[in-house]
Amino acid sequence: MSDASSEATARHPTRLGGRSAAAVWIPVGIVVLIVALLAALFAFGLGRNPTVVQPVDLGKMAPGFQLARLDGTGTVSLGSMRGQVVVLNFWASWCADCIVENKALQAVFDRYRDQGVQFVGVSFEDQSGTARGFAKQMGMHWPLASDPGTTTAIDYGVTGVPETFVISPDGHIVAKTIGPVTYPELSEQIANAIPGGA
Amino acid sequence: MSGEGRGAAGTAAAAVVGVALVAAAAAILVIAARGAPAPTTLQERVRAVAVGLRCPVCQDLSVADSPAPLAQAMRAKIATELQAGTPPSAIRQQFVHAYGSWILMAPPRHGLSLVVWILPLALALAGCALAVVAISRWTRDRPGAARPEAAPAENLPGRPDAPDELSSSDRRLLERAVAASGAWEDPE
Repeated sequence: MSDASSEATARHPTRLGGRSAAAVWIPVGIVVLIVALLAALFAFGLGRNPTVVQPVDLGKMAPGFQLARLDGTGTVSLGSMRGQVVVLNFWASWCADCIVENKALQAVFDRYRDQGVQFVGVSFEDQSGTARGFAKQMGMHWPLASDPGTTTAIDYGVTGVPETFVISPDGHIVAKTIGPVTYPELSEQIANAIPGGA
Repeated sequence: MSGEGRGAAGTAAAAVVGVALVAAAAAILVIAARGAPAPTTLQERVRAVAVGLRCPVCQDLSVADSPAPLAQAMRAKIATELQAGTPPSAIRQQFVHAYGSWILMAPPRHGLSLVVWILPLALALAGCALAVVAISRWTRDRPGAARPEAAPAENLPGRPDAPDELSSSDRRLLERAVAASGAWEDPE
């Protein structure tokens, strides 16, 4: 570039190659805006944990069920426990976390068994014989049922075990725990579900 | 070719590209709208529902494609519901009721998820418009093409052999530069 043209360009900084600055910067601004919006959306998505699934069934009516007991002594149904707080626990003999939570579950059962709180354990993707042996070994003294076809677990939106639901006396799901329960957590959930507290 | 002729050619080229892009988009839309043939057997009907549901214990696999026991149980439940006469949409809704909209492989067409559906279409349309405008400009502003608004060469003081493809703004810049540097030094 000659000195003359350099000088001329320097005198007219708002023009680039004969095009007005607005003609250049407006499209650039639009592209930058679009990229910024996409980046913000991407950052928003990255900020969320995709492994966390919000429980969608809280406050909804608990799906009804009538399942055969594992010990073969009849059936257990949700309808027959209407008017009582129900703790519905999905478990399996192959589930390590079910062993972890067993002690807390036992302690909560012992605390609330005489206060009209019903416990039901539903085996998940397990064989009846294996599940019975596990329950005996773990000392699970509440009603245990098998779930052929995993239909009840699917109705409750179960994605794995253990998962524990607390159902209010009027049949609504008021608490859901994904993973092993703890004594204080489950106790509080039950206390909140009992009319008038406990 | 005159400036007007080149301008008309550029407009025609842009129009051809625009028509081609619209035709391609229409063909894609027709193919997408036609979709897959309607399922007939129970297995096909189960798959048609299951392919739209996410396997809860898998990484990015549908219930139709997953070998996991829970996915198998879900397929069995879908089959039972279909045999009972439940419409596919109602079956999907049952799963959404239990698991939330997360269970659907395709994001729902409302709320923030709507962006996922609209954005690609909007970007495609914007891209087509940009291509038409850009091609129109490139063909019109090609080097050597005369500009109707360009001043005659002999109007440039002291430089009758100056190229005539300068725009009026460039010509003004050049004139100022020439004036600032004094008279042209004729190479001869």
